[in-house]
Amino acid sequence: MRAGRPSVGLLPWGICFAVFGLFPLLYALLLSFQDMNPLRPDASHFVGLANYAHALGSPSFWHALRTTVVFVVGTLPVTLVLAYGVAALLGRIRRAQSFFRAAIFFPATLSMVVVSLVFKSLYAEDGLMNGWLAASDLARVHWLQDPRLALPSIMAMDIWASVGYYAILLLAGRKTLPVEQLEAARLEGLTAWQVERRIVLPHLQPVILFVVLLNTIRSFQVFIEVFVLTRGGPLESTLTLVYHLYERAFYHFEMGYACAIAYLLLALVGVVLLIQRRVLRSAEVAA
Amino acid sequence: MPREGGGGGVRAARLWPYAALSAVALLSLAPLLYMARVSLGQGSDLPISPADWLGRPFTLEHYRSLWSGGPMGRFALNSAIVSCAALPLQLLLASAAGHALARSRFIGKRATLALATAFLILPRQVTLVPLYLIMAKLGLLDTYPALILPHLADPFGVLFMSHYYQTMSAELEDAARTDGLPARTIFWRIVLPLSGPGLAVVGVNGFLTTWNSFLHPLVLTTSESMRTLPVGLALFAQSEYAVDWGALLAGSTVATLPVLVAFAIFQRQIVEGVLQGSGR
Repeated sequence: MRAGRPSVGLLPWGICFAVFGLFPLLYALLLSFQDMNPLRPDASHFVGLANYAHALGSPSFWHALRTTVVFVVGTLPVTLVLAYGVAALLGRIRRAQSFFRAAIFFPATLSMVVVSLVFKSLYAEDGLMNGWLAASDLARVHWLQDPRLALPSIMAMDIWASVGYYAILLLAGRKTLPVEQLEAARLEGLTAWQVERRIVLPHLQPVILFVVLLNTIRSFQVFIEVFVLTRGGPLESTLTLVYHLYERAFYHFEMGYACAIAYLLLALVGVVLLIQRRVLRSAEVAA
Repeated sequence: MPREGGGGGVRAARLWPYAALSAVALLSLAPLLYMARVSLGQGSDLPISPADWLGRPFTLEHYRSLWSGGPMGRFALNSAIVSCAALPLQLLLASAAGHALARSRFIGKRATLALATAFLILPRQVTLVPLYLIMAKLGLLDTYPALILPHLADPFGVLFMSHYYQTMSAELEDAARTDGLPARTIFWRIVLPLSGPGLAVVGVNGFLTTWNSFLHPLVLTTSESMRTLPVGLALFAQSEYAVDWGALLAGSTVATLPVLVAFAIFQRQIVEGVLQGSGR
C-alpha cells in the first residue's frame, strides 16, 4: 500500500462532496456578507455584517426564533418520554415483538409531506376530528386556523411521526442492558420501578443523550410541516426559522439575508448541542 | 383458589404490555389506514365519522384520475427517475470512497473523515441558497441532474462503508495484489461482491432520503413537469379552495407504497442506518 496518496476511489465522491457540500457551505458564509438578489446579480455587493445586524434587529426573525424554540422545547420532552415508554414496553414482551416494532417504527420512514397531508385532512374544518367533536355535541375546533392552536396541532403531529423513530433507538440501547445485574436486583427485591431508575436509566444515558441531540437537530429544521399545513400562518403563529429563511430567499430574493439566517441557525444549533451535551454528561456523572 | 387468583394476576401482569402496545400500534397505523381507505372510497369530500369513512363503496376512481388527467403521474415518474438514477451512483461512490478511506493512508484522511462526520449533523438548509445559485449558474435548474447531484455528496454512505471495510478482513485483497491483479480489478471482482450487506444499509437509507426529499427539489425545480411527488403533492394541497382530498390521499398512498415495500424487505437495514446516524 502506497502511503501518502489516496486511492483514486476517493475521487468521484470527493469531487461531489467538495462541489455540492463544502463549497455551498462556504459560499453561504460569503453570501451572508453580501446584498444579493439573483434577479440583479450584477448589483450584489459586500455589506459586511449588515445582514446579521438586520436579522438581530428584525421582529420577524425573533418571532421565527421564538416559534422554533417553542416547537423544539414543546416536542422534545414529550417525544422522549413517549419513546422511552414504548421502548420499555417493547423490551418487556417476548412474543410478536417484531410485529409491534415494525408497526410503531413504520411511520418514521414516511415522507413528511405524506404525514402532513394526512393530518391536514384530519384537522380540516370538515374533517374527521371535527366530525368526532360534532358527534359528541362539542363545538368545532379550528385546529389550523386558530393562531393559538395551529402550532400545538403541528407539534402533536410531529410527536406522532417521530416517537417510533426514537423508540427504536432506545430499544436498541435496552438490548445491551446488563442482564445479570438486573436479575440480581430483582432477587434483592427491588421493584420494577426501582430497577428502571437505578440500573436501566443510567445504562441508557448515552442513548438518551443521542436521542436528545438528534431530536434537537431535526426539530430546529422544522419546515415541511409548516409548508404543507399552514404556510407560516395564521398571523405568523407557525412561522419557523427555516420557513422564514425559505420565504426571504425565494419570495423576496434576499439571498444574502437568507444565508445570514442559515448561519445564525447553524450557530444556534451548535450552541444548544454543546450545552445539552455538557448538561447531560454532568447528569451522568452525578447519577 | 389462591393459586388460580395468583395465576390470573401474573397473567394480567404479562398481558398488559401487549394491550398497551396494541393501542400504540393502532394509533401509529390508524392515520395510514385512514389515508389508504379514503383514497379507495367514493367522493372527493372528507369522511366525517368512522362509519362514513369505512362505509363508502370502494372505487379506483381517484387513482384513475391520477394517471389520466392530472400531473400526478408525471410527478411519480420524476420521483422514480431521480431515485433510480441516484441509487446506483450513491452505492458506487460510497463503496469506492469508503474503501479508499478504510484501506489507504494519506495526508488529509483524518480531515476528510471529520468533515464528512460534521456534515452528517449539519442542518442542510445552510446549503440551500448556494445550491440554487450554483445550479442556476450551471444551467441545471429544473433538470434531473439538479435533483440527483446533491444526493451524491451525502457523507453517510461513505462513512458507513468505510467502517464496514475496516471490519472486513483485507486478506483476500492482499493475496490478489500479491498475484499482481490491478487495484481496479480487485475492487470490482473482490471488494464489491463482498459489500452486499453494507450496501443494503446504504442503499435503502439513501433511497428513502431521495424519495422523500422535499426542500431541495422544491427550490431546484421551477416548472410543473419537473416536480417530484412530494413537491407536487404539497403544492397541490395548497390550493385554498375545494381540495380534492380523494385524489390527494391517493397520491399520498402512491408516494407511500415504495416506502412500504422497502420497509417490508429492508427493515433491519433501515434500523441499522438509523442507529449509525443516517439522520435525514
